[in-house]
Amino acid sequence: MTNNIELIFEKGFSEFPCNFVPSMDIPETQIDQILPKEFIREKINIPDTPEFVIVRHFMNLSEKNHSLDRSIYPLGSCTMKYNPRINEVLCRLPGFTQIHPLQDENEGSLELIHELGMQLCEICGMDAFTLIPSAGAQGELAGILIMKKYFENQGIKKDKIIVPDSAHGTNPASSAMAGFSIIELKSDENGEIPLDQLEFAMQEGDVAGLMLTNPNTLGIFDRNITKITEIVHKYGGLCYYDGANLNPIMGMTRPGDMGFDIIHVNLHKTFSTPHGGGGPGAGPVGVKKHLISHLPCPQIIKEEEQFVCIDEHENSIGRIRSFWGNFGVLVRAYSYIKALGADGLKRAANMSVLNANYIRSQLQPEYDIPYNSQGRFNMHEFVVDAHLPNDVTAEDVAKSLLDRNLYAPTIYFPLIIHQAMMIEPTETESKRELDRFIQAMKDIYQQAREDPSIIKTAPHKTPVGRLDNTLAARKPILRE
Amino acid sequence: MDYVPHDNKEIAEMLAAIGVDSLSNLYQDIPKDLILDQLNLPNGISEPDLLKDLTKLSEKNKQYSTAFIGAGSYFHYIPSLVDFVISRSQFFTAYTPYQAEASQGFLQAIFEYQSAIARLTELDVTNASMYDGASALAEAAIMAAFLTRKKKILLIKGIHPEYVETVKTYCWGRNFEVEEINLDQLEEKVNSEIGGVCFQSPNFFGEIENANEIVTKVKNLNKKTLVIQCMTDPTCLGVLVSPGKTGVDIFVAEGQSFGLPPSFGGPGLGIFATHDKYTRKMPGRLIGLTKEINGDKEGFVLTLQAREQHIRREKATSNICSNQSLCMLSALVYLVSMGKTGLKQIAMQNIQKSYYLKTKLAEISGYQILSNKPTYNEFVVKCSNYQKLKELCKANNILPPLDLTRYYPEMKNCALICVTEQNSKKDIELFLQLAKEAAQAE
Amino acid sequence: MEFPTDLKYAETHEWVKVEGDIAIVGITDHAQDQLGEIVFAELPEVGDTFEKGEEMCSVESSKAVGEALAPVSGEIVEINEALEDEPEKINADPYGEGFLVKIKMSDPSELDSLLDAEGYKATLG
Repeated sequence: MTNNIELIFEKGFSEFPCNFVPSMDIPETQIDQILPKEFIREKINIPDTPEFVIVRHFMNLSEKNHSLDRSIYPLGSCTMKYNPRINEVLCRLPGFTQIHPLQDENEGSLELIHELGMQLCEICGMDAFTLIPSAGAQGELAGILIMKKYFENQGIKKDKIIVPDSAHGTNPASSAMAGFSIIELKSDENGEIPLDQLEFAMQEGDVAGLMLTNPNTLGIFDRNITKITEIVHKYGGLCYYDGANLNPIMGMTRPGDMGFDIIHVNLHKTFSTPHGGGGPGAGPVGVKKHLISHLPCPQIIKEEEQFVCIDEHENSIGRIRSFWGNFGVLVRAYSYIKALGADGLKRAANMSVLNANYIRSQLQPEYDIPYNSQGRFNMHEFVVDAHLPNDVTAEDVAKSLLDRNLYAPTIYFPLIIHQAMMIEPTETESKRELDRFIQAMKDIYQQAREDPSIIKTAPHKTPVGRLDNTLAARKPILRE
Repeated sequence: MDYVPHDNKEIAEMLAAIGVDSLSNLYQDIPKDLILDQLNLPNGISEPDLLKDLTKLSEKNKQYSTAFIGAGSYFHYIPSLVDFVISRSQFFTAYTPYQAEASQGFLQAIFEYQSAIARLTELDVTNASMYDGASALAEAAIMAAFLTRKKKILLIKGIHPEYVETVKTYCWGRNFEVEEINLDQLEEKVNSEIGGVCFQSPNFFGEIENANEIVTKVKNLNKKTLVIQCMTDPTCLGVLVSPGKTGVDIFVAEGQSFGLPPSFGGPGLGIFATHDKYTRKMPGRLIGLTKEINGDKEGFVLTLQAREQHIRREKATSNICSNQSLCMLSALVYLVSMGKTGLKQIAMQNIQKSYYLKTKLAEISGYQILSNKPTYNEFVVKCSNYQKLKELCKANNILPPLDLTRYYPEMKNCALICVTEQNSKKDIELFLQLAKEAAQAE
Repeated sequence: MEFPTDLKYAETHEWVKVEGDIAIVGITDHAQDQLGEIVFAELPEVGDTFEKGEEMCSVESSKAVGEALAPVSGEIVEINEALEDEPEKINADPYGEGFLVKIKMSDPSELDSLLDAEGYKATLG
């Protein structure tokens, strides 16, 4: 393609035998007797490439990719924890992979789905779970549609949802997909929800409810959480818990006990399933009793040791995708919860909080940590405002971390902090690795003061230097 | 086993560095009455015990030696290198390539996938994949409504029933209207208020529709209405004319057939492709080629992000913020492993083997092929005794074809049969033998 | 930052230049500066009509998106087609080559509700 990029398509031949086709053992019929001529394709423009050429190509690509297995991957709100290898073995058992979604003898799969749902109910303090949503965002959509159905069924018109200004952009987008508009609530100086303003917004009367992450995207646990859910309920609203930050509270406290009616969790965050470069994940949705009938179909219930599937239900929001969801992901999460058990989940939560606060304590001399009032601690993550000497920005710091063989935190989010760097180490990082990260951050600060030019043009040691996003968007080249 | 790499001494050191005596101090913001005593779950177990438990559980599912079922999830051969590539930890333990310079491997793979699907479909632009075929179709319907600023979508009968339900859910969310129509009702139903017309080909019953004719008809009725084609098994593109050639506006498909096992229905991937002129309203991630700011090297980045939820918020076409990257990687490795030669041969085998079984079955008394339209690897047969056929299949370690009453209660004794390259002549002959027995058993 | 005194301004960061019954419309220097390097402008079609305050165009940078609202009601009679290839003109010359559209006003009295340069500057604080 160019001097530094070679695409796979350049490495193949115009014709080369394919080794992945079984022998053809039945008598063939002329194709034009089976299909009308105008249905038949003339050519396919995908080269034939020898197997070893392909393997080497992807091996080389993989070497150009940073991953969790190489070093700390401290992306805030993404919970990049170790992906246990046993889970990769278990999800590949033929009794899971070679099972058709519409076959009768599926008791193993249904039992796993049911059990995982029960485990999540216990962990989150909810009454029922659906495991169908394919990702957090789809879980959010399902959750908001449940709200819509709940009010529609009662003939009540509610068309607004409250989200705090620290919320992820997905919250407003999901709300819009369910026909709701957004009321944005400004966090107070502690990064918490101002109760008077919440009450004021709820009084409007057409508010369906509140979407909240707790601990929030600043890594702060809202001390007024019970009062918050009470206020929303007082005005007939529902409380939605965005489970992106569930990791630090597993076994310590439960969203259901805080008063939430609906929750989505991210199995690829809290429950260790691999992020896979962006998916597949899974975003199960849990609800309290009064909302169970609104869950998407199919719903699985256990009746006298038998699993019963409900394919249609008039109160359900309906289907949101085909079949049972990302089953292969569910196997991994189920296996993780079984491996850790009650004791292990709690310890994982505790250690994630320990790791985050340890980094925070070590970075504080150099880095500004807003919303960090006296004597309070963070949960699993915290946000620094990386305005360094000589106008060095959060992006510069991020790129400089790449040069130190570390991945960068989430940057420029939450939006309420100008040079935000959101740091979430997770419990599976050793002290040694945390110290390496801390040292790198300190070195970068030092360098910003003394010789900022290196930082401002970083990265230097990656396969390519800093790339031009503006050019990419102005003149989009989306295929070769 | 909690995968935490600290010993007690280290924990004490860290607590001291933070300046607290105990872990519980860190949780002081949680109100006391919300603190949980203990989760009501068993304690953790070791890896060998886990392996034993899960293996036992997996064996409660029945794995058949051969299958004649499809209906949205297919048994195709998966080249061994596919799982090898996606198991590289550089790929599967990475996340969204936010830091492009340290993620060129995955970014290039996505760019290659976008290119491979463009080559296969002969359409301009492909996103980095969506959750599955059903949600991709729903997103396509929403996109059509956005583009045309119309609030009604038509679904032509023959779309996978679970996809139909999914489109209905998404459209209900947006307060858009959906109507299911027959193919011969286009003239009556398409008008200037229709945002999109969706059809599936090969359809749920295996029939190959005349896509070009549908496009022409719709465009003649209203030039602005978008035509959306979906399919559940895109291996057919090895033999069938591409959506780029038939003129559809948006093409979506379930990509599980490209290198992924059925896995009880997921994960797979939603393939989504369209024309350049619609790019800015397209949902999902896109990877683009660019250059270094201070150099000559080229590289890949996530691009056109202003379309997406984290920037456009409530005005975004979709709330999707991820893709099925690892599954997409399977699909890419599958497509390049097969190449044009393999893709054509696989498609030919599917169509030939299925045609062979269909023809032979029609010769057996008690079996009636319900459609005379051409089919790919699936077709519907009305059996004199479906239950018996099902029993006999199971007794012979064959996963039987789908009982269509699962979705269409009125279609009694109708089976949706799927034949792929994985079914050998021996399998097919055995199935025919059992079919004969079943018909005679009444 | 420049705010030419011969233009009218909307609080939502659009400017208007009046030529007879035609209003030439763009986004202000302040707006382009806030958005950063502009990568794309989505323009309406000639013949589309808008009410004052309706969303008319969207302007994208690689990190943000802004909507331009119709500062006056009327019909689009011209769009700035040059922006298709060179959206960066909005950054370089927001009041000239970087204009967005020309509107044939249906109610020129709406101009009275717009701000002058000083008034607009004051809203930026």
